[in-house]
Amino acid sequence: MSIQLSNIIESLLFVSAEPLSTEKIKNVLTGYSEQEIKSSLDLILKKYSSYPGGIQIIRTGGGYLFETRSEHDPWIRCLLRVNRKNKLSAAALETLSTIAYHQPITLAEISAFRGVDATHSLKTLLQKKLVKIVGRKKSPGKPLIYRTSERFLTYFGLDSLKDLPSQEEISKLLEEETNED
Amino acid sequence: MDSSIESPEYQVNLDVFQGPLDLLLFLIRKKKIDINDIPIATITREYLAYLDKKEHINLEREAEFLYVAALLIYIKSQMLLPRERPLEDEEDPRQVLVDRLLEYQKIKAACAILRQKEEDELPKWKRDVPPPKFMSEELDLTEVSLFNLAEAFFVLMKKKERENIQIIMGKEYSIEDKMNEIIEFLKENQYLDFTEYFGSQATIEEALVSFFCLLELIKARVVYAIQETLFQTIKVWIREESPK
Repeated sequence: MSIQLSNIIESLLFVSAEPLSTEKIKNVLTGYSEQEIKSSLDLILKKYSSYPGGIQIIRTGGGYLFETRSEHDPWIRCLLRVNRKNKLSAAALETLSTIAYHQPITLAEISAFRGVDATHSLKTLLQKKLVKIVGRKKSPGKPLIYRTSERFLTYFGLDSLKDLPSQEEISKLLEEETNED
Repeated sequence: MDSSIESPEYQVNLDVFQGPLDLLLFLIRKKKIDINDIPIATITREYLAYLDKKEHINLEREAEFLYVAALLIYIKSQMLLPRERPLEDEEDPRQVLVDRLLEYQKIKAACAILRQKEEDELPKWKRDVPPPKFMSEELDLTEVSLFNLAEAFFVLMKKKERENIQIIMGKEYSIEDKMNEIIEFLKENQYLDFTEYFGSQATIEEALVSFFCLLELIKARVVYAIQETLFQTIKVWIREESPK
């Protein structure tokens, strides 16, 4: 019984382009208890972690997703005719991390943090769907308010915003850099 | 940090820095200055020296650099002014700058960590195009009014007029024949695209006859005309015989 249930969940994972959360699974498999779904999900996770195949399951954005292994990247790129995947520009990454740590935030506030106008990089981030507009601030000019998107989490392989580099990690890095100088 | 910045023959290029705070942070690091205790005069001199090395300053883009230069000079002037009572900590004009720099430094560090994560994630592929979603056959369709049909028809007639047809065909069209033709067409093609169908009619006369036939067929409830959304082409469907 539980084998069949885990097979169903596996197929749901297969077709999911967005992280598949237990919440979503529960909405589909209404006849099953949360306990049954969780143990079946564990069964699949165990199956994939014990067998080093071409695909792995990762936890990201509050759910699970199928993902290829990084060592297979050259062949995948060859098949899809992708020369290389573009990294974010330094300006875009800086804008993105400003938003991530200070969200919800307006364009003027982002620019103030960076000391430089962020209009252009914000546009890039919106196009890449890494940030989203969540409303307008009730202040003069009613500026738009931005937040990071769900795609932001999957892009960096984070499960939730709590997984952003922590204060300790940042301090440690800064200390290392000072010692290097 | 980028190795080119460390090299002695490095030419100043403001584009390398992500804004004035980045440059300031770089100078502070280079001079091994404690960020909480910036000697404003020294750092301002360095900062201005960097701006000077750039021959042409693009005001549009480098205004922020000049703004920070002005801020540094302002802070220094504030510190030089004699005060009646000593400044308290939070009144130190440097504090605003220091706070901004500390916050900026954190963001820079977070960027470095996120960059590493990005590099780890990029070679792993996820499904990024969802499989086709099931489209309901039962679209929300609105039946069009006679006026919509007539309007579309006259637009087409205008088009035909402009073509300036010279050959007058002596053929006569009977409504009955035309009606059968439309029904045959519908049986074969499932539906009839209003614009396409009338566009293919040879003459205005034929198109007119076809239009009358169509109206007749709609009235007789043999066919029905629908428009999926506003401004889309009108489609004519045959009504299926109720299975009895």
